[in-house]
Amino acid sequence: MCHSPLLLSSFPRAVLHIDGDAFFASCEQARDPALKGRPVITGLERGIAASMSYEAKARGITRAMPLWQIRRICPDAVILPSDYETYSLLSKRLFDIVRRWTPDVEEYGVDECFADITGLRRMHRASYPVIASRIQRDLAAELGFTFSIGLAPTKVLAKIGSKWKKPNGLTAIPGRRIHEYLANLPVENVWGIGPQTTAFLMKHRIRTALEFARLPLEWVFANTTKPFQEIWQELNGLSVLQLVTEAKTTYASIQKFKTFTPPSTDAAFVFSQLSRNIENACIKVRRYDLAVREAVFLLRTQQFDHAGIEVELSDATPVPGPIIAAAREAFRTLWKPGTQYRATGVVFTKLESDDRRQPDLFGAHVGIERSRRVYQSADALDAKYGKHTVYVATSHIAQTHAQHDSERGHLAARKTDLVRGETGRQRLAIPMLMGREFTDQAA
Amino acid sequence: MDPTPAIRRIRRFFQQRRRMPTYREIARLVGYRSTNAVAKLVNVLVAGGSVVRDTTGHLTLPDPFGTARVLGTVEAGWPSPAEEELADTMSLDEWLISNREATFMLKVRGESMRDAGIMPGDMVLVERGSQARDGDIVVAEVDGAWTMKYLRHRDGKALLMPANPKFRPIVPRDQLNITAVVKAVIRKY
Repeated sequence: MCHSPLLLSSFPRAVLHIDGDAFFASCEQARDPALKGRPVITGLERGIAASMSYEAKARGITRAMPLWQIRRICPDAVILPSDYETYSLLSKRLFDIVRRWTPDVEEYGVDECFADITGLRRMHRASYPVIASRIQRDLAAELGFTFSIGLAPTKVLAKIGSKWKKPNGLTAIPGRRIHEYLANLPVENVWGIGPQTTAFLMKHRIRTALEFARLPLEWVFANTTKPFQEIWQELNGLSVLQLVTEAKTTYASIQKFKTFTPPSTDAAFVFSQLSRNIENACIKVRRYDLAVREAVFLLRTQQFDHAGIEVELSDATPVPGPIIAAAREAFRTLWKPGTQYRATGVVFTKLESDDRRQPDLFGAHVGIERSRRVYQSADALDAKYGKHTVYVATSHIAQTHAQHDSERGHLAARKTDLVRGETGRQRLAIPMLMGREFTDQAA
Repeated sequence: MDPTPAIRRIRRFFQQRRRMPTYREIARLVGYRSTNAVAKLVNVLVAGGSVVRDTTGHLTLPDPFGTARVLGTVEAGWPSPAEEELADTMSLDEWLISNREATFMLKVRGESMRDAGIMPGDMVLVERGSQARDGDIVVAEVDGAWTMKYLRHRDGKALLMPANPKFRPIVPRDQLNITAVVKAVIRKY
């Protein structure tokens, strides 16, 4: 029973999960050879490790570890400020390279994607594992760092495959061998199974993914909710989770949350932070042609307490003006003088599509129409000259202060190492090889 | 039901993707659950003339390229050459970059390639992972630093040749790590 396969065919579908190995740190190592083989950590500007190279992981450094601790256990660590611009450029290249092999690519995260290569063996004149290894080879050759790939009949199993051997691993899990990979895998390591479900399954003495997969269908459908029924089916080799191959076209909610250091007791400064979050969230709202109906404003204190107020707007709006006005009122209620605040945030909880372009009979929309046009121009200016070329005056203090007191001098090197014609606001969309130039050969 | 927002979204979709949405995509655009409802909406749009069916039954826009462009004036005798003749041109990007995903840039620092016309401050575009051949200018990794030189093969051994008599050739101790091949040099004044 324990050794019988869960599925008899190998790849009724062929799904890949492609996962960057220490993606951010690898981006840094790939552009500066001096960093190769060294413990590299990104996240200098935030004071914690955002990503660490395999050399750093080997020294016991984990994600979100504070930098002072890292410097103590690994004095030779190279700690760099995050360069999200470069990481995003390389992330897009990852997806574009995979799309050379198949159009069905789901961009699942900045450093990972799913790809469906079912039925492409004849076109590429290669087996599924060979196609996977060619994608892996292209990525490493052209981007300069490695990716781990899982190949399986379903997304959940492909995800197990990509984690099986890292870095630079390629793990194929054909249907008839699924049970071998699940036998010793703790059930909480399965994509989508969280601590609640793990605890629930424990009560039924289910500890491994295989024990979960071997549960009878009737039991699973009677005792768990749909997401877990789907995971159960996927573990059994039956593909039910489709790839989401299109870029997001809409959002159910949009949020912007930002911490600042040092914490502040200055109401004008903290409100300005909130104002900027609202403004940034509105930029996203307009990009997806939405309008805000309801918003939650949040303040977080140094003691990590949250205070928040939900506000419904009288009129759905895509521009920050009315939202900031509502926020000002909420802020008066939330603000406690003398308290140290360390973060502000806004969540737009109710969004509508922004369709009401026709002016109404009573002319109340004239003002709204006018401010829409102002923001159309502001968005055009930002597109031409870079983000935050113009911003509302209430955000001014936040816009002109560094977000963290450690930020000065911690700018990503690419932001200062410009070529002629680039500005602090806009750079060429091509990653740059950085680092030392080899000299000492002068005769 | 007012079909105006639906038309707006379909047009936007067309502008972004250069094709019409499928019924399922229209359903998502307008927030319908069934393609049957979409079929009814499409009938309304077709009847109103904002969407048309071509001879094969596929949907298209009545003016897919926006408003019609005027090609010159009739009195001049010849249409303005611009539109049609420009079809066979390419942008600077297309000219400079062949494999976009593998292209990186590098700012030139030393003078070792001076006689090849590559000066400090120039920007070079390099292609990562492409096969380097004898005579190519390459970017190689030497002692944890980048160096840009001509790749030459002498007696079966690869070496890196500078284009400046003040510099000596680099003979790799064991293995030569070529990272990228130079594809273009750009100098902006």
